[in-house]
Amino acid sequence: MTIERTPRNDKELWRSLASQPAVAPAAVAEMDLAAWLEGRLSEEAAAPVEAAVAADPALRRAALDLADILGKPLPAAPERMVVRARALVGFEAGRAAPAGGLFGRWLRGGGLFGGSSHALQQGMMAVAALVVATGGFVVGGGLGESLAQQREGYYSKTETASTTSATTSNEVSEFFAGDGI
Amino acid sequence: MAELNQIDLRALARGDKRTWDAFVVAAAPLINAVVRRTLASYRLSEEDVLDAAQDVFVRLCAQDFRLLKTYDPERAGLPTWLSVVSRSCAIDHLRRRRQATEPIDDVPEAALGVEDRHVEKLKIPDGLLTARQVLILKYLYDEERDVTDIAKLLAVDAQTIRSTHHKALQRLRAHFREDEPPRGG
Repeated sequence: MTIERTPRNDKELWRSLASQPAVAPAAVAEMDLAAWLEGRLSEEAAAPVEAAVAADPALRRAALDLADILGKPLPAAPERMVVRARALVGFEAGRAAPAGGLFGRWLRGGGLFGGSSHALQQGMMAVAALVVATGGFVVGGGLGESLAQQREGYYSKTETASTTSATTSNEVSEFFAGDGI
Repeated sequence: MAELNQIDLRALARGDKRTWDAFVVAAAPLINAVVRRTLASYRLSEEDVLDAAQDVFVRLCAQDFRLLKTYDPERAGLPTWLSVVSRSCAIDHLRRRRQATEPIDDVPEAALGVEDRHVEKLKIPDGLLTARQVLILKYLYDEERDVTDIAKLLAVDAQTIRSTHHKALQRLRAHFREDEPPRGG
């Protein structure tokens, strides 16, 4: 163990001293550090923040970096960064590239009539649901019954026709038989 | 930055999609700059930088915007607070990445070694210097920063920094009875 002589130069003097506090300062809250960076803290409130910044070399550099960044115009962020961040909230980001066509416009919210009324959109959805339900009924039970009726009518007509045809045939036979042919 | 200050924070904290999109556009340049500056010395890939920036946005909106709701406009501007949060997130991202990818065997021994030389330093008594004096001396001598940079950070003029520095050294010299250097030969 050596004890170095107190140097004469200011810088050497400082570096020969143990400037780290015996007890590490408490971590600084982000809000406190932001307030300190803006110079909004009183001398009393700023002291613990300054002690913490002084004790942490990374925080010392960060404070200067942030002050520098906040004081000058910044370049635009990459488009990918913006797109990814936007997608974190809501689901509209998934529709960023909307489907074209009239139906796509209608799905996106009433663009069909040039407005974006939510009530109009809901009304149209209800009409669409009604059309689908009616169509399902017709294609299912309704049309099946109709077809059955048609089929039944066809058979009864065929039966009548064949009966009529048979009667006519008998009468002609009887006519020829009656004449002795 | 001006756009960032015009964001409706209540709508943002409610999770309003349009407000969030506007916030992202306004905040992205700042978050991008802070994350890049924080990670600059670690030579990370562009993908890592984008991931770290995404972590900032995730942290802001996570758990129903819990972090965002802690922001107090009375205490600091949104850009300043956001820059502090971005830096914290970038450091967290770096720590997670290093823990996940750097086995202890890959770390050079020199980085893990402890210097054998021990020099006993004189301790500065508590209360001898103010926190600001210590901070200024550290910036000047440990970080070797320019007086104007420190003045800008602390929002004072350069002369105030010089004066604070001078008073701090006077107190140190008085306490440790530092002799004046011998003049001449």
